[in-house]
Amino acid sequence: MTNVSITPAKSTTKNVGFRFGVGVSAIFIAAALISNFWTPYTVDGFKIAERFASPSFAHWFGANHLGRDVLSMIMIGARISIGVAATAIFIGMTIGVPLGLFAAAYGGIVDGFIMRAGDLVFAFPAILLAILIAAVYGPSAMNAVIAIGVFNIPVFARVTRGAALSLWKRDYILAARMADRNRVQISIEHILPNISHLLIVQGTVQFSLAILAEAGLSYVGLGVQSPTPSWGRMLAESQTMISFAPWLVIFPGLAIFLFVIALNLVGDGLNKRLDPREKWLV
Amino acid sequence: MRAFNVFASAAAVILIVLLTVARPAFAAGALSVGVQLEPPNLDPTSGAAAAIDEIVYANVFEGLTRIREDGTAAPALAERWIVSDDGLRYDFFLREGVTFHDGTPFDAADVIFSLNRARDENSTNAQRVIFEKISAIIAIGPHHIAIELSQPIGAMPIYLGWGDAVIVAEESAATNASNPIGTGPFKFTRWRKGASIALDRFSGYWGEQPPLEQINFIFIPDPTAAFAALMAGDVDGFPNYPAAENLSLIERDERFQIIDGAGEGEMIVAINNGKPPFDDIRVRRALNHAIDKRSIIEAGLFGFGEPIGSHFPPHNPAYVDLADHYNYDPARAKQLLTEAGHADGLDLTLTLPPPAYARRGGEVVAAMLETVGINVTIRNLEWAQWLDQVFTNKNYDLTIVSHTEPLDIDIYARDGYYFQYDSEVFRALIETLSAESDETRRTEFLKAAQRRLADDAVNVFIASSPKVGVWASGVSGVWANAPLQANDLTAAAGAGRKVRNAETGADNIAPLGIVGLFLIFFTGAVAWFGRTNPAYLAARIGSAFLTLFAAAIVIFVITELTPGDPAAFMMGLNADAKSLAALRAELGLDKPALERFWSWLGGILHGNFGVSYTYRVPAAELIAERIWISVPLATFAFFLSTAIGIPAGLLAASRRNRKSGKAIMTAAQAGVAAPNFWLAILLVLFFAVGLRWFSAGGFPGWQAGALPALKALLLPAIALAIPQAAILTQIMRSSTINTLNDDYIRTARAKGLAESDVLKNHALRNALIPVLTILGLQFAFLVAGAIIIENVFYLPGLGRLAFQAIAQRDLIVVQGIVMVLVFVVVFASLIVDLAYAIVDPRLRRSGSS
Repeated sequence: MTNVSITPAKSTTKNVGFRFGVGVSAIFIAAALISNFWTPYTVDGFKIAERFASPSFAHWFGANHLGRDVLSMIMIGARISIGVAATAIFIGMTIGVPLGLFAAAYGGIVDGFIMRAGDLVFAFPAILLAILIAAVYGPSAMNAVIAIGVFNIPVFARVTRGAALSLWKRDYILAARMADRNRVQISIEHILPNISHLLIVQGTVQFSLAILAEAGLSYVGLGVQSPTPSWGRMLAESQTMISFAPWLVIFPGLAIFLFVIALNLVGDGLNKRLDPREKWLV
Repeated sequence: MRAFNVFASAAAVILIVLLTVARPAFAAGALSVGVQLEPPNLDPTSGAAAAIDEIVYANVFEGLTRIREDGTAAPALAERWIVSDDGLRYDFFLREGVTFHDGTPFDAADVIFSLNRARDENSTNAQRVIFEKISAIIAIGPHHIAIELSQPIGAMPIYLGWGDAVIVAEESAATNASNPIGTGPFKFTRWRKGASIALDRFSGYWGEQPPLEQINFIFIPDPTAAFAALMAGDVDGFPNYPAAENLSLIERDERFQIIDGAGEGEMIVAINNGKPPFDDIRVRRALNHAIDKRSIIEAGLFGFGEPIGSHFPPHNPAYVDLADHYNYDPARAKQLLTEAGHADGLDLTLTLPPPAYARRGGEVVAAMLETVGINVTIRNLEWAQWLDQVFTNKNYDLTIVSHTEPLDIDIYARDGYYFQYDSEVFRALIETLSAESDETRRTEFLKAAQRRLADDAVNVFIASSPKVGVWASGVSGVWANAPLQANDLTAAAGAGRKVRNAETGADNIAPLGIVGLFLIFFTGAVAWFGRTNPAYLAARIGSAFLTLFAAAIVIFVITELTPGDPAAFMMGLNADAKSLAALRAELGLDKPALERFWSWLGGILHGNFGVSYTYRVPAAELIAERIWISVPLATFAFFLSTAIGIPAGLLAASRRNRKSGKAIMTAAQAGVAAPNFWLAILLVLFFAVGLRWFSAGGFPGWQAGALPALKALLLPAIALAIPQAAILTQIMRSSTINTLNDDYIRTARAKGLAESDVLKNHALRNALIPVLTILGLQFAFLVAGAIIIENVFYLPGLGRLAFQAIAQRDLIVVQGIVMVLVFVVVFASLIVDLAYAIVDPRLRRSGSS
């Protein structure tokens, strides 16, 4: 699987990688959107003639034990995956970014408290939170969204705080303070616009991590429930059939893998475009 | 380089510990048997769970009689018996020289004790109804008893052969649930909760010694894992193979034999006859016409099953073929629905229990009903919830389930049974049937009963489910048919290969005291060698404890938010008021939340996580057994990832302008994106299923020796390590490049140092500083990932325990697991931070070098 179609070339590597990333991500997003009103086949019902159909022109990625088209399921799976990941990132950003701005603007105890709370969340990998929630409310897509979303809050809070802190020392912020703007106003009017590119990059990285997390949670049965197709559950369901229908585990896995690679390449590309120095976001 | 020294010595310590663990002990003629369900306890006389009989029946416990494979009764603890002419008195002559596994001799007193216990008013015996017809049990001599009945029961010798009628000793009856003591050829040795039960040959057995020396029952609920276990040779077979989809594959594999037996199971789509609109026979008939049995047999049972039309198995002589009583005819179904006033369609819920046949069959049923205009909402439930909501409270529309009890057509005559079928005619039929002893006439009544159920379209009868056993080709003497839900292995012989004799796993959670001592020792070492600022150390340790405290609050609050009464939530099915009150008292639910929090926290500090609701053992014990898989797995992956990632990152940095450096980064880019569980599946495909170099899963236990254990963890650890190694490579590379751009490196180069010396002596240590921070976070990801990977390889670690606990609503265990894992994560990041102090000179005490 190291055989990825991005060959390192001398000077255009980054461009090729970025273009590849944008192109593949666009395909996935388009597939997810299209799946709302069209898929090559319906993914309910039982088509006895097509059981375990191997990849062919009729079924590009084959069909599963119920004769359902794998490509169609992957398209709907993309929608679920993107939906869960995007909602989770939205939660992470809408809570994490203000917290980070706040911590940077006020410093001291406020900052310490917010950052220690962030450490606490880091002690709960998303799956532990998902296990806790599932134990009480039962597994569901919402469960996955909350678990991944909560885990993302401190990530955004940290990035925002770090970037904002370095801006607070700048002259134009000083000027704004002289102009009697308060800290909240400055954060919104001056800090936020100037760190938004960082948030976009971090958002892309977190989005790809969220795709992976969603797949993992639905693989262990803590995510979207049957019969809605999801990449993780497609893998879990067809694992026993691997020796005679390997396409059932290869294509959903490949979908996750390619989409995540593409998103990472987009993130890298954006990072390099927006920041000439090669900096790593942690 | 000190950081490396710390890691190297930690690795050495771990290796030494692993290597000194006891060597494996081997037993010849052992058989590892895969079963789907773990029994709740091991006392067959106390409850209805078939999973109990599947382990102990005939193997550990014996009754006066025993059931042969053909369903007839044979002598067991009674050598022979005579029945009086009126059928009201049985005389049993008991075998002499029989002892229980604990050495207690067996005699008439044990029989009287056992049967009286079973028919006692407060007995929890599932078949008490039968024993209640016993009016007296009299000891005639030490080895001769008489049973007097209030009414004749023709099948008495058969009933006395059931698991519910096994003979127990008064001395051990109370503890049979956890330590069963019977008279059978095998004695109970060990129960690893959630994993396996071992039985060993009993040398003092009264009869012929069984061919097997040891039986290991291994619990594998998941069809996926069942296949993996079989392929990997971790089990020698399954009496009831759960993954029908692989049978065609197994059939072609000469390593295995498929033993196809007649099962007693009927798979049905049960209809709630008591709930409108299903009280309307036209609606029920419409459902029957709308569902194509053969498609469900294909999809849900993978072709293994015979279509039926009533609640009766085809192998029985009294069977009537009604499979096409309602042919598959969607148009007719629509017409019937219209007649019943549902021309605009119908909304209903299809409730599904966990087995694969139900879940897979359910999707097909839903699709078929949609085509006749019925809107189906699928609701997936765990068994406990299903029993509670569907079976007990009849809160359902349709459900799919397989009824496996033999000759159970009389359930349709029971009051309050979950179908809510209410037919005077049928009840009268069953009543005459039970009073009838003439075989020909009985057959006639049975046929009439089957027709009645079909006519009334009580349920949609789908298929008889066969009992398909899959065994390694060397195994013999196992039963093909299943007259009882039991696995009589007394005549079974193994493949002759040696199987490890797994000894007791680690039973004690590493006392927190030891962890504390280690921490103090480690901190001291850091302070000494790193000459680190004590204030920094104190602050760091303090904040770790604060994090743990806050985590405890979070865990407590989330579980506190359980809707409704937590005790009722946990007990679910059939919770009676008495046991609910007991659980509530145990959980201290009568006390205020704050007080409960403190006592929970205080318990944890003493290593007491409460008592598991499901297993009735301390949660700490369960967690302790499992943590020795999850944490070593994460640690193993941690070392692998470090061993790959750091050199790869250095290499990529020093060759950053060359092709090889870029190739490493491309590989890293790919590694970051690959989901670890997908990698794991691919590794299984190549190395276990294909090349057969490794087991496809399972864990032999540390007592089998460090090497076999590490071998079992190797593939999972690789799958876990690859994505993390890739991340590490990226970070190591960029950190090294950043360092190489620093002024002091330029100075070193200007001095004329070779590039490799610059890298090794000057850049490495500084480049490692940011990498160490990542290492702390990585451990958290590895522990989390281990939980998922355990599923692929069915390692009996914390992840599996957590998912079982979720399914069984064992909140106490879930709380404990999450707390322990948070502790591991916080502890690991603390250790890494302290190691950081050694490497980073800025954290040193002022005044010293």
